[in-house]
Amino acid sequence: MANGLIRCENLWHIYKTGKVVALQDINLTIQAQEILGVIGQNGSGKTTLVKHFNGLLKPTSGRVIVGGVDTARKKVQELSSQVGYVFQNPNHQLFARTVEEELEFGPRNLKLSDEEVIERREKAIEFFNLNPYRKLHPYRLSFPVRKLVGMASIYTMQPAVFILDEPTTGQDHVTTRIVYRLIERLREDGFTVICVSHDMILLAEVVDRILVMRNARLIADATPREVFADLQLMHSTHITPPQITELSLRLRESTLQKVCLSVKEMVETIQDVMSGSRPTQSFNN
Amino acid sequence: MQGVAIPISMVPGNSVLHRLNPLPKLALAIGVLIFSFATRNPALLGIVFAIGLMLVTIGKIWKAYLRVVMILFPIYLTLIVLQSIAPAFPRPWTPIVGFGPFTIYQEGIYSGVSMLARILCMTTYALIMIQTTHPSDLFTSLQKIGMPYVLNFILTVTLQLLPIIQSEFAIVLSAQKSRGMKGTGFGAILPSMVPVFVGAIERVQQLSISLEARAFGSSGRKTSFRDVSMRVKDYIALVLSLVFPILLTTWVVLDKSLDWSRSMVFPPTLSIILVSSCAIGFVVYFIIAVSYVLRV
Amino acid sequence: MKNQQPIVQISNLFFTYPTSTIPALKNINLTINEGEYVSILGLNGSGKTSLLLTLNGIIPNMIMGEMEGMVVVDGKNTDDYPVREMAKVVGMVFDNPEFQLSQMTVAEEIALGLENLGIPYKDMHNTIHQVLEIVGLEGLEERSPFSLSGGQQQRLSIASALAMRPKILVMDEPTSNVDPIGKEEIFRVAEQLNREHGMTVIMAEHEVEVMAAYSDRIIVMSNGEIILNGTPTEVFGQVNTLNQMGLRVPQVTELACRLDQKRIVPFYGQYPVTLEQADAALRAELGCRKV
Repeated sequence: MANGLIRCENLWHIYKTGKVVALQDINLTIQAQEILGVIGQNGSGKTTLVKHFNGLLKPTSGRVIVGGVDTARKKVQELSSQVGYVFQNPNHQLFARTVEEELEFGPRNLKLSDEEVIERREKAIEFFNLNPYRKLHPYRLSFPVRKLVGMASIYTMQPAVFILDEPTTGQDHVTTRIVYRLIERLREDGFTVICVSHDMILLAEVVDRILVMRNARLIADATPREVFADLQLMHSTHITPPQITELSLRLRESTLQKVCLSVKEMVETIQDVMSGSRPTQSFNN
Repeated sequence: MQGVAIPISMVPGNSVLHRLNPLPKLALAIGVLIFSFATRNPALLGIVFAIGLMLVTIGKIWKAYLRVVMILFPIYLTLIVLQSIAPAFPRPWTPIVGFGPFTIYQEGIYSGVSMLARILCMTTYALIMIQTTHPSDLFTSLQKIGMPYVLNFILTVTLQLLPIIQSEFAIVLSAQKSRGMKGTGFGAILPSMVPVFVGAIERVQQLSISLEARAFGSSGRKTSFRDVSMRVKDYIALVLSLVFPILLTTWVVLDKSLDWSRSMVFPPTLSIILVSSCAIGFVVYFIIAVSYVLRV
Repeated sequence: MKNQQPIVQISNLFFTYPTSTIPALKNINLTINEGEYVSILGLNGSGKTSLLLTLNGIIPNMIMGEMEGMVVVDGKNTDDYPVREMAKVVGMVFDNPEFQLSQMTVAEEIALGLENLGIPYKDMHNTIHQVLEIVGLEGLEERSPFSLSGGQQQRLSIASALAMRPKILVMDEPTSNVDPIGKEEIFRVAEQLNREHGMTVIMAEHEVEVMAAYSDRIIVMSNGEIILNGTPTEVFGQVNTLNQMGLRVPQVTELACRLDQKRIVPFYGQYPVTLEQADAALRAELGCRKV
């Protein structure tokens, strides 16, 4: 899509209560099949920003265009078939008696036929591997599985864009990896995924573009490698890169000449250095 | 859904009333409550109300006080209008003048005015107590005169959790709207309420474990962080707060001549002006309120 | 600084929840010495929380179930003492910052425990001020706990626990629902309490990089059992075992393991577990290979 799936034009958001500027002159374009990460401290505006994408918040001035439509004229419910928002705490969404019913809620709200509803439900169960849980009460499930059900219940709406609010918070090592893989598969299937997260490994290894928010402003819009290599940026927003990236940054000048985003990458880089077959490479790859 | 913060809470301040122990203020509020129900005499109620307004001035809580009183404003107006044409009072009724298809009665206006005075009295003294007293101080003093500790705790926690549950509810509504749920109607009840209820239950479960881990439920003497000792002036205030309402109430109950219900006479023009201005006022208020809600 | 006196002794512990047939804790034998900083690692459902709840007697006194074996904390058998007694020795902080709070002000939240212990009113203010200083929340006495950030709320819960003057601070995934700055604050307070005040710290967590830097010992649990128990270097050195269990090791350790196994850089089985160790080791190796 030439104009971008989501576009923000001079977006400002000011909370009426305290005259607090939550977003200051945001301009950005998001294309299809991107995986974006949005990072920033509490109060930086990162959650405020993504809430404009599905209409939960409306601009005070400026515009947000989703799929060619100005969100200011649309209700959240109307935008929900295009932009899905998975809340951080699945408990805020789950209410049905079985996982199956929970998954059917979204499509039914879209007024789809019974066959379509069931078809979408089954697709979600398959994608998220929820078959063993389908007849169970959502509140009988462990927290990580509830989070998956939360994601699946937005998946059944088949929105072009998924917004995930802290998808790996509260997860253990295994379920975290499951979420990473799910995000990658979503992109493979044609969706755009926007993650608001402070999970550095997610941002380094899964995401292809990072938006950095600070004090209501978008202060950086770049690849993970560029963002983590920018020490001043990291310092000013109190963000620490993943341990492996920090190590590569420390060794960069002396030997590595590269900012590594994963253990695998670092192994390969060191291997090249050790075998002497490594030409000088700029670390801005 | 932005919850309207009902301003029924303490107003920070350092007035004489703020520094007074909660018990006299509570006693006064209860005393006035009993007195208000013991009589309909508008003059007496009016005097007690006026004294209340003086206390509001002493406590410097006018802004917060008026905010609550104004919420009840449309009720006052409807009260007068409805009572005037259909008194909550035993017949016979004495008509004053016709008002369209209705008739305004003496007893009606009397009833409306005295009910209004009654509401204003009770509200004023209740607000004087609430807005100059820290809830924890109040509960702790009640505990000292015998209320069980657990009740104190439950009340404190409930006060804390109400605004939290309110904001949880707002979050749940956003979450469900993001799944296409229409905000109103039968289909919105379960998806909005279940997550809030379950959330509240899970919260209380965790809270009870945390409390247990901090020795909650120990028997034995419990001390208190809040200093609610009674000083001399508190005792004096307490005595006054008990004595005056009791005296007033006894007088009003015993002296039948204070029952002016059959003896007050309202001139016809005054009655019409009163009722119609209340009616118009109510309609205007209603229009303003509805347009505000719709615009939001 | 750390004496070798055991403060926690668990022998042959089995525990099954009433609604289950599978034991949540199996054959637990564990000794923790006073002043140690012990971290517990394991997947959800591995038994970490259940183990922690036995330390102050919530299991089995508040959460009923079938328990065999013995848990002795500071010389007291948890079977014989009510939770409110154990609360004087063991302070506990849980994973949801907000759910642990109930009072109107920070000071009252801390005072809650003191009230329950019958501490005289005049001593309360001192204690409250002291613990607020330790966790870095001085000056916030009159704030509502619900207006604090997640990191601040957890530090408040730590302060509330500290007010009871425990010897052991037990924390169950205290940073899992907290932002990065808050995480750092919490880990810093725990480390400070351990290093400067000799507090025994027992923490269940997923942040392996931080665990490696601060812990004296790491315990790995799976399916209710203790699988590994040793220093960070010993435990995280078992990269393959942990990976098979689905657990991650610090990234630098994984790096060293792979470099070692692929014979790119030799580590002779001694892998670094912290950034500093890895930095030093690799600089030495790569230093002579400057491009």
